[in-house]
Amino acid sequence: MMQTPTFTWRGVVDGAAKGIVIAPALIAFGLAVGVLAFSKGLTALEIALMSAWVYAGTAQMASLQVWAEPVPLLVLVLTVLAMNARYVLLSAALRPPFGALPAWQIYPGLAIFGDGNWALTMRDVNERRPDAGFLLGSGLVMYLPWIGATVAGHLFGQVLGDPRRLGLDFMLAALFATMAVGFFRVARSVAPLIVAIVVAVVVQKLIDGPWYLFAGALAGSLTGALRVRPT
Amino acid sequence: MSVRPEVFQAILLLGLASLACRLGGFFLMRYVSITPRVDAWLRAIPIALIGAILGPIAVNGGPPEWLGLAVAIGVMHFSANEFAATIGACATVAVVRAAMA
Repeated sequence: MMQTPTFTWRGVVDGAAKGIVIAPALIAFGLAVGVLAFSKGLTALEIALMSAWVYAGTAQMASLQVWAEPVPLLVLVLTVLAMNARYVLLSAALRPPFGALPAWQIYPGLAIFGDGNWALTMRDVNERRPDAGFLLGSGLVMYLPWIGATVAGHLFGQVLGDPRRLGLDFMLAALFATMAVGFFRVARSVAPLIVAIVVAVVVQKLIDGPWYLFAGALAGSLTGALRVRPT
Repeated sequence: MSVRPEVFQAILLLGLASLACRLGGFFLMRYVSITPRVDAWLRAIPIALIGAILGPIAVNGGPPEWLGLAVAIGVMHFSANEFAATIGACATVAVVRAAMA
């Protein structure tokens, strides 16, 4: 049975300490987004504003790719929705551990979560009493470097080397692979993983854009729902 | 250094779309009762998302990515040290890329 959730400042600090490992990958990705924003004619202040308010690496990358003048509003909004559709699922999964908290303790963390710190938080709630401070703290150490990195990419992107050379673009994939080990032990089932991989790979080949993430996560998790474990 | 009105308007809308996705799932689940089946669905989301992210990376990647994933999983499995696992995986990717270049 899941324990009563809490929000502690200790959790914020703890989340920040655990989340900092994601920052290098985020910075490498943010630099690339900043360079793209520069090439599309956005000002440094505009990309700073976008990073702070839209705050979604993959969605910003995709929307900047279709960015044009005049601004194609509808296409942009659909692109962001497609990219961030997976967040609806991830956000829903936070309800069982954190549903009992007052809104002010959980919504700030929800407003700035990303894939990496969400996964760290899901692992954290498996290990001890759910602490919404962890979600907020791990989110903050991603949020602030993200804004800085996209602006830096805009200002200095032309003179920086390729972050791929250092393998930094692989950081997030590596982090997810390490977390797969822990989640696999909790899930005790290979079916959701296999279905998610197959659906994601197939959908990516068939449909342009980022829908494969949402399709894979949805199909895989529903597979998990087919088998209800006795509690 | 300025913010043009049409860009501001676009960013405002895109941010609202982003926020709706982040808050929406949690908010809507308020109206869904967490039966054992719903619970099983929500619990399977992490491993499913990880599969959806890593599957295409493995399929579209080459030896650097394959070895990187193997190092991440292997080091984590045997040492449970995620810092060593992620850094080791990135270093592996960098070295193999350099070797292949």
